Amino acid sequence: MTVTSIWPGQTQGGHRPATEDTVAVRFVAGVRLLLVVTAAAVGSYLPGLSSRKADLMLLIGLGWVPWAMVVLFASEGVGSRLALFGGPVGDLALLTAVELLHPSAAVPVLIGYLVVVVFAVYTMERALAGGIGAAAVVLSWLSQIWIAHSHRVSAAVLVAFTAAVVAMVSLLERTAVLRSRVDSRYERLQTKAETIVANVADAIVVTDAEGRITQCNPAAGRVLGRPHHQLVGQTCALALTLHIDSRAIDCSQGCGLMALAGAADAADVEVWRWAREGVRQPLLASATEVADDDASQEVLHSIRDITRLKQAEEAKTLFLATATHELKTPLTVINGFAETLQVHPDMAPEDRAAALAAISSRGRELAAIIDRLLMSSRIEAGRVSVSLGPVVVAPLAEERGVTFARATDRPVTVLAPEELPFAHANANALITVIDHLLDNAAKYSPPGSPLQIEVKAEGDLVTVAVTDHGVGMDEEQARHCFDRFWQAESTDVRRFGGAGIGLYIVRSLVEAMGASVSVRSAPGQGSTFTIALATEGATVSGSQSAGAETLTEAEATAGRGEPTSIREFMRQIGVPERTAP
Amino acid sequence: MNLAVGVSNLILGAIYTCYGIMTLVDLKRGWRTRGFSHFGAAWVAMAFTCGPHHLEHGLHILYSGTSAGALDFAAVAVGFPAGAIWFLLRVEALAGGAGDRFVRGTPAWVAALPYLSGVYLAALVIESVLLLDNGESHLSPRMTPNILLLGIYFLIGYYLIRAQLGTRSQAGGWSLSGLTLGIVFPTCGLMHIFFTEYAAVGQYGIDGVGLAIDWLAVPASIYFVWVVRALYLGTITDWNESAGRAPSQLAAA
Repeated sequence: MTVTSIWPGQTQGGHRPATEDTVAVRFVAGVRLLLVVTAAAVGSYLPGLSSRKADLMLLIGLGWVPWAMVVLFASEGVGSRLALFGGPVGDLALLTAVELLHPSAAVPVLIGYLVVVVFAVYTMERALAGGIGAAAVVLSWLSQIWIAHSHRVSAAVLVAFTAAVVAMVSLLERTAVLRSRVDSRYERLQTKAETIVANVADAIVVTDAEGRITQCNPAAGRVLGRPHHQLVGQTCALALTLHIDSRAIDCSQGCGLMALAGAADAADVEVWRWAREGVRQPLLASATEVADDDASQEVLHSIRDITRLKQAEEAKTLFLATATHELKTPLTVINGFAETLQVHPDMAPEDRAAALAAISSRGRELAAIIDRLLMSSRIEAGRVSVSLGPVVVAPLAEERGVTFARATDRPVTVLAPEELPFAHANANALITVIDHLLDNAAKYSPPGSPLQIEVKAEGDLVTVAVTDHGVGMDEEQARHCFDRFWQAESTDVRRFGGAGIGLYIVRSLVEAMGASVSVRSAPGQGSTFTIALATEGATVSGSQSAGAETLTEAEATAGRGEPTSIREFMRQIGVPERTAP
Repeated sequence: MNLAVGVSNLILGAIYTCYGIMTLVDLKRGWRTRGFSHFGAAWVAMAFTCGPHHLEHGLHILYSGTSAGALDFAAVAVGFPAGAIWFLLRVEALAGGAGDRFVRGTPAWVAALPYLSGVYLAALVIESVLLLDNGESHLSPRMTPNILLLGIYFLIGYYLIRAQLGTRSQAGGWSLSGLTLGIVFPTCGLMHIFFTEYAAVGQYGIDGVGLAIDWLAVPASIYFVWVVRALYLGTITDWNESAGRAPSQLAAA
């Protein structure tokens, strides 16, 4: 049952957090209420009250308590101003009524009033307003008490005097509140700006008029390869060592980067620096003048590391070349045989059959390459999603191994225990993954070299390991082998073929199944690629957990053994559910 | 009538005190994981003042020779079944059950409630006027908390009924727990004002213990109203917060 309340001013779905002011006013209003209730309760206990005094106690109880209650309620949000000013004004009105009815009864009430106001200014944490306010009110009360007993001044003068004191205290308090808000707003904005600068990915480096670094953010340390605090104090030319084309940027006549950007009429300039011996780090940099707080001019450099962008561009260029080559090779064969069949219509039947078989085989190869390219494209566009369910891995792996062995005339051993838990996976995706791993293993292994598929249960996982005895990879190559368009070396295209997307597809499909893939390899000793799939038993609880959203909150919390009564009761009486900020 | 009013008050007193203990247990259980609950604390405060008030009143009726008034009986006759149903639902909730029944649509008995309440209240007002008119009545500061409680409990009842009307339009039905509580609070308010009326005409006495309990009930009930209002406005944090899951997701589920 969804409950939506109809309370005016109610916020839906989230908190309207109480401000510091609201909390302070709420506290004061609460204290006022308790004091009033106490005063009224004590008054109601007094025995043998005269009729006039009894009326007075009724007035306090039935007039002052509701007023203090209204002020307490007003302390929430919209009415906080009413609570701030209305409280003391209401107190004053009732105090005047009490004084008029029975002057001597004002003293205990005045003491209560003192406590309330002192609490008010104390909780506001404004020393000036607190001191002046408390002193003024004490003076006011002493005057009132003295005047009430000596009957020298009329009650109207008392009221006017006290009202003036309350107004003054309120004004001071209000000024202090506004000042405090300005200060806290400035602090918040400063913190926000610092947080943004500290967390941006681009390096921000500020230099003074002499080109010396005065400030830089943590990203500057990451981009420039040194702790950022070590950069402060160094000259820009030495710390950044920016180059354009083949020359270093000249900063001797002011900021060279800014001059370059100005000359190119561009916001940023593509530059580079030596990241380490012989390795260029491409950067996109900009510079602009900013005024420091003492009005001196500083230069703000923004530097972005575009190494990965460049690598991606290079990989795409390489991919275009390799993909073209991969597509062209079978097409050349197909065209060649097709032309031969056209030119020699009287070809011997066995030669014709061999030519058609070659066309068919190369056509399948072409289709497979195009399939991989399409899947790679779909993965990159985020359009691949798989539905998961229980999968029996062992027979599936065995079937793929046998099929692959027949197709390639290469021995494939499949090892699997007789009993294995269901894996939480997608059968089609798993077939694609195993096929790609077998393709990859065969491609980098000598012809006829055996391959092995081993399926086993390890704890809550079902693992599938594909092992070859091929060329293997070093550590660096193993780290990148699942990257898109990545190949062990540029000559691979010629030695082994492929466009560098097979293992990328493997990793993407494995991750889509919520599983993981790893590789263990050494140069010249072959490689073992292992997929670790969750077992269905382990994931049943996971899916139940995800499905818990279909349960009511009460059922969900009951499952966690948490208290239900208070939360459920809140829901029943229409208290809206809220999200933690 | 004495026996009915006395026993009913004793049972209601036991129920509210038990509910205070139950809420205290719930509050303690959730404190570590969810923090302090103003709502829970407000209920504890309410229950530990309402419960003793009813116990004290029941004992006076049964053992101190106080003669129960007809208006008091009329109030308890309506409040007792509603309070008992509500309490049983709370026990069910504490045991991990739903703690509520969804009343689909607006059945005839729910539709009849406003009319029955109108007739009931009109009869009670007439009887009250006759009572105060016949006897020599006078107000005393000792009646202050009971008069205040009438207003506060009616205010709570008004809030609850308004929330239930909102629930009806949203969910197409009523929460039985909310409905019973919407009946309990106004009848509690009536009990307090009738108590005052009988005290004004001298039929009931207000002793020190009763006065202390009633004065404690005033800030307790104001705290309760304040908490519920602040929860609706979202200005305090309580156990209605669901960490990391938006209410819309729950509703959609």
